[in-house]
Amino acid sequence: MKTYWRTGEPCVWGTGAALAATLLIAFILIIVVMINGLGVFWPAPLEELHLKDGSTLLGERIQREPVHDGEGFRRQYKIANRDLYGLDFRWIDESNIVDVRYPDEAIVLEREEHGDFFGYLKSLDTVDLVFAADIDLYQSLLASHRKVSEMREAVEQVDDEISKLSYKLEKVRRNLIKAEYQGLAKNNPKVLELKRNQAILQDDFKHLVEKQNQNVAAMRVHKAVFADTNGQEQQIILADMVRIYQPNQMGLLGKSWFYAGKLKELILGQPRESNTEGGLFPAIFGTVMLIFVMSLFSFPLGVIAAIYLREYAREGMIVRLVRIAVNNLAGIPSIVYGIFGLGFFVYGVGGAIDQMFYPEILPTPTFGTGGILWASLTLALLTVPVVIVATEGALGAIPREIREGSLALGATKFQTLMRILLPMSSPGIMTGLILAMARAAGEVAPLMITGVVKLAPALPIDGNFPFLHLDRKFMHLGFHIFDIGFQSPNVEAAKPMVFVTTLLLVLIVLTMSSIAIHLRNKMKKRYTFGTF
Amino acid sequence: MSEIATIKVTDPVIEVENLDFYYSGSKALHGINLGFPRKHVTALIGPSGCGKSTLLRCFNRMNDLIDNIDVQGHVLLNGNDIYTSSTDVIELRRRVGMVFQKSNPFPKSIYENVIFGLRIAGVKNKSVLDETVERSLKGAALWEEVKDRLNESALSLSGGQMQRLCIARAIAVNPEIILMDEPCSALDPKSTARVEELIGELRENYTIIIVTHNMQQAGRVSDYTAFLYEGFLVEFGLTEKMFMKPRKKQTEDYITGRFG
Amino acid sequence: MNERFRIRAKRNDRIAKWVITLGGMLVIFSVVFILLLITNTTLPLFQKPSADIFAKFLLPKEPTQEVLAIGVDEYLETGFFLDREGVFNFFENQQGLATDQHSSSPPAENAELASVESVGRLQYSLLWDDGTLTLEQVNFRPFFDEENNNRRSIVHSVTRKAVFPSSNEDLPIMSMGRVSSEGRLTRVDHLSAERLMVTQTVISETLLGDQEEEHFSEVLELPGQDAIKALALNNQGTELYAGTEAGYLLRWSLSEAGGAKLLDHIQAFTDGREITALTLVFGDYSLAVGDTQGQVSTWFPVRTEKNSARKILKRIHTLSKHDTAVIDIQPSLRNKSVLSLGGDGFLHLDHMTSERHLLDLGNHVPLFQYAFSTRGDGLIALTEESRAIIWKLDNPHPEVSWKTLFGKVWYEGYDEPAYVWQSSSANDDFEPKLSLTPLIFGTLKGTFYAMVFAVPLALFGAIYTSQFCRPRLREIIKPTVEIMAAIPTVIIGFLAALWLAPLIEESLGAVFLSIVFVPVGLMLAIIIWQFIRRNDPLKKLERGYEFLAIAPVLVLSIAIATTLGPMAEDLLFAGDLKQWLFEEAGTRYDPRNCIVIAFAMGFAVIPIIFTIAEDSLSNVPPALKAASLACGASRWQTVWRVILPSASPGIFAGTMIGFGRAVGETMIVLMATGNTAIMDLSIFNGMRPLSSNIAVEIPEAPHGGTLYRTLFLSAVILFLMTFVVNTVAEVIRQRLRKKYGRF
Repeated sequence: MKTYWRTGEPCVWGTGAALAATLLIAFILIIVVMINGLGVFWPAPLEELHLKDGSTLLGERIQREPVHDGEGFRRQYKIANRDLYGLDFRWIDESNIVDVRYPDEAIVLEREEHGDFFGYLKSLDTVDLVFAADIDLYQSLLASHRKVSEMREAVEQVDDEISKLSYKLEKVRRNLIKAEYQGLAKNNPKVLELKRNQAILQDDFKHLVEKQNQNVAAMRVHKAVFADTNGQEQQIILADMVRIYQPNQMGLLGKSWFYAGKLKELILGQPRESNTEGGLFPAIFGTVMLIFVMSLFSFPLGVIAAIYLREYAREGMIVRLVRIAVNNLAGIPSIVYGIFGLGFFVYGVGGAIDQMFYPEILPTPTFGTGGILWASLTLALLTVPVVIVATEGALGAIPREIREGSLALGATKFQTLMRILLPMSSPGIMTGLILAMARAAGEVAPLMITGVVKLAPALPIDGNFPFLHLDRKFMHLGFHIFDIGFQSPNVEAAKPMVFVTTLLLVLIVLTMSSIAIHLRNKMKKRYTFGTF
Repeated sequence: MSEIATIKVTDPVIEVENLDFYYSGSKALHGINLGFPRKHVTALIGPSGCGKSTLLRCFNRMNDLIDNIDVQGHVLLNGNDIYTSSTDVIELRRRVGMVFQKSNPFPKSIYENVIFGLRIAGVKNKSVLDETVERSLKGAALWEEVKDRLNESALSLSGGQMQRLCIARAIAVNPEIILMDEPCSALDPKSTARVEELIGELRENYTIIIVTHNMQQAGRVSDYTAFLYEGFLVEFGLTEKMFMKPRKKQTEDYITGRFG
Repeated sequence: MNERFRIRAKRNDRIAKWVITLGGMLVIFSVVFILLLITNTTLPLFQKPSADIFAKFLLPKEPTQEVLAIGVDEYLETGFFLDREGVFNFFENQQGLATDQHSSSPPAENAELASVESVGRLQYSLLWDDGTLTLEQVNFRPFFDEENNNRRSIVHSVTRKAVFPSSNEDLPIMSMGRVSSEGRLTRVDHLSAERLMVTQTVISETLLGDQEEEHFSEVLELPGQDAIKALALNNQGTELYAGTEAGYLLRWSLSEAGGAKLLDHIQAFTDGREITALTLVFGDYSLAVGDTQGQVSTWFPVRTEKNSARKILKRIHTLSKHDTAVIDIQPSLRNKSVLSLGGDGFLHLDHMTSERHLLDLGNHVPLFQYAFSTRGDGLIALTEESRAIIWKLDNPHPEVSWKTLFGKVWYEGYDEPAYVWQSSSANDDFEPKLSLTPLIFGTLKGTFYAMVFAVPLALFGAIYTSQFCRPRLREIIKPTVEIMAAIPTVIIGFLAALWLAPLIEESLGAVFLSIVFVPVGLMLAIIIWQFIRRNDPLKKLERGYEFLAIAPVLVLSIAIATTLGPMAEDLLFAGDLKQWLFEEAGTRYDPRNCIVIAFAMGFAVIPIIFTIAEDSLSNVPPALKAASLACGASRWQTVWRVILPSASPGIFAGTMIGFGRAVGETMIVLMATGNTAIMDLSIFNGMRPLSSNIAVEIPEAPHGGTLYRTLFLSAVILFLMTFVVNTVAEVIRQRLRKKYGRF
């Protein structure tokens, strides 16, 4: 017994406990994200509660917890129908519940606004969209909704045209301002041409908008009447419904199908309801593009700097200092890079570009405000040290003999670099790049001051010339989490979406870094060749 | 070190005249004067740190890769000084091949390893390349062992094979001289024997300068031997004579194993 | 061989060398550039203000009469002076050519001005020699002329705001008139025999919508034998200040019409020096006081005791000293600067909050009339030989000094000096409070709690992984921890705020119980283990699986703590620990507090410390370990005495780098703390660190403004903090490596 203590075995166990705790925390984090994120789209059954006071309640059970003071439990229900009740969620003491039923005909409507609607279908008012005589009410609702969705697609197409036109109009307007700025007279042929153009476009625009208004009005004629669990009736326009389903009637297959549909919407859809519903497409697109543009800068710069440090610079005090500096840079807070990006890129470079190329519309900034280009450059600076360190490490791991072997055969330094060293260090460089990308994907603070927004009106790439708009603001998954989790008016209702976004971001980042780390570990083994 | 026991070589391929070499200020070679006979094997021997590898690396200017070095004196390759500013180092290294202590095949296929020297010189003709691979591998006595797996990674070869591959790679560009820096120190006896045998064959066509730690090896493979001690050339002569009857006490002590 | 190819290869080599060298240098240079640029942005904060003479000329019409007031527009293009006849004479500011005149229609034929008082923004209260008081407003309106190529020209006009009829007494020595925002008129006359007469007119609306005027008038007497030397009245006409010959400061409240109340009557300075000038600093809260000694100081009422309602005037800031008595003081209309004129004709520009003496003006000629431009960036003054001088001030950040950034400052409305960060507010006349101390404190506080949580876990975990764990498991654990490092902090922050914080708030008792239960549980488990370790299948655990066996113990201890938590709370703290904390310990429980931060930021830092420490521990040559074990040391003794000392540089470096990461972490603290800039070490409330402060405030900060530059300064501080820590880590690592240089 005494020896057991003296030899320090308990200490070993103590260190083991520390490791166990670390891993447990990581495990819990992943589990929490998974549980909360994966379940969001799985259609939960609708429960109809009959309460002691005679009222009923239709809702989706969220959680159950012990009542704060006293016995028993209470349950939280999502009761939806925000426009009727004002609140989405309600706590019910279990002692108040008389009966719980799962009515088959309970319907969930996902709507464009006001959140979901839980209730029952009463009647249809769909102006001969379908002949309701031979099929039941619910089926005809679905059929009408499909037809309305088709109409909506047409409306969306016109919307696209309208936005294209308005882009053109905006361009003409800018050119006019420019002409005025250049001091062209009002009767200058160029100005007249522009004015004429503007008039034509405005006319087209007016016509299109009129047409669109008619379309929309025609689409919005179709309505249906629903009632909530207490019989309160409400008319809802079909065009406002995104999805209609009866969760209590769905089988496993139906639910899976539903889940897949929601996933598709998540990846490809546009956000709704101040980002708390709908898809993440603009955020995913923004994140990917940000990473891409960032890599375009940070990759070559980092690799060149590393090659310089390792292969070309004379080893000495300065190189040692620079190396310490570069190692340090990786540890400098990202917010510092952000503020640098703001001061240098946005106000410095962007301001100068505006002065030079867009003086006519100042003080409205073009490049002199946050945008995806500046955010990417800021992140590039942030990640350059990562690439440098990884590349230097990979180059340094190549034995000296390999370099000498190549040079002794009459290769130039550059040939040695291109034919031997870079191919050999490519896994290391890739590791660095992937790590840099993973870091960029998860970094939010510097973006917040260099151009990320909660809702970007347009993607940085679109069909309007010049197709790539690097001056535009963009959306980002990480910022999306911060924004809807902390700045949306209804945090409780936003939670599912935050968890889904979190899950997506965690998956992206973890996959990327797993690949990077795997590559690196593989590379470590690779250089132990030869006879020694 | 007042006098140096040396012999005059007629038609030396490399001639070293009063060569001093400094590593960041400290002198590593002191006034070396030496001529290397054409198409013979010359061994450089001496205890560790005596400067034999440094001397060897002066012949293809591999020392240039190190910062803070200084070379004074002359090294003449076929009568032309290689330490002038107009010397084409790349060209020099093509004419003076080198085999290193640690075998250093590139992480490429065997085929690509052999023709690396040609590739970087811009040779693209497939038949020339194929021919060179066969000739060089045969020259390095490796052809029979690898001819069926030329596209496999060079790293899959055994240690002795790798070293012979490096020799094949060196002779692929048809150098005049092959420098060997302790080529067998990392090999097992059997592989060493193969390489030594190969050196014997190569002396027909190439001038070989070999640095070795191993007295027996020097005795076995070389025609001439130069003994260096603490940066000075002590004795240079026919290997046989020097091993039988060294003219200097230091040489004798070293050869008989009293130090080193 | 191919000659051309070779030449090309060599050319490529040369080009590549240049390109790479250039590129490499560029990247390295740009890195240095970051620091330089950020620092450069902050430098104007500490720049010494300067004043350039913008124009200097003789006044247009040789003023036959005295100039009673002078002024200039905000673009410094047009100036004016007011003469004894009540005429505003405008002139342009290049050569001083007269442009036009606006007579402010005297109340009576041939009435002349007796005295003039400047009130706020180009407003003048004019006392005519028949006793009438008028309030005149000079207006400058920039005007963009389309004919004239959209060039700016400035139109000016003079409007009368109010007329205060004569009070039918003797002509006052001096009079002041004010119109409050509700339309109440207040007139204060300094009458002979040291009496002050206050006349107020209140306009109220009756139920029927008619306007009703009520007039109040009263005379205030000075207590004791004394003479009034200076008066000040705030813009609303509700607070009246007087300074006397015997050095007393008096303060009356006039907010109740007809019911003036003497609030203060205090001896300003112990030496009883005479008060010579009074004015209210922009914002009408602080009183600037000038005296015969040439001292300028500012005062405002402060609570005498902690909870008493009574406030008395107190000297707060002492500004620069003139060589002679102060004649007059004028406030800036932009910030809390005051301009004071000494008897020797020198002007001093001081900022109240920062107590910075900004400028000395008029070294050559004595000045006697002067005025700020409304933007506060220009100054017009008149010398005795009626020469006008216009200065353009380069004074962008007067409110910042080392003291306001790092020291305790006594802000308006506070009862004592304090460290405060409050950068903006709704009103213009707000005094910005830019103390970085609470932010630095917040940064260090958050970092400290995070490190307390992270360092033991990470280091012990690393020791176990590298020394005791099965190699096969190690190959899984290490990448797992590395991947942990990649989890975006925004996710950690979000979980901490929306998942962990409510959880901890709900089960605070359980959290504290866990602190006791977990170690106890571990001890118990180890003791029990001793008795069962001899059994064969269990013995295998001691070959690197201990952490798997101990994990259930941890979970169990926490589970027990969670179950017992509410009971313990009931028993010890009457059911509510938070309430108890508030009542008994005086700490408010903030749901987003340092416990949450410790967990969240600790979690973000663990992988960094772990990875670096583990690397250096596994790099200790196995021969060392073998040697120690061969001497009969146990595995723990080997680790403690042999491995740890050798690996200490790496462990130290890892800790330092983790510290640097925690210092700069932004998203976690932004989301999981309340972001209130308080200086309180309590673990139950949050903080506002430098990093999240930047993220919160920079979008609101105007480019080039004081806040913008101050935020850059906090970025420099963050930069230096991490840079110093990382460099120290690196240097110590190298030095210790030399000492233990075995790997």
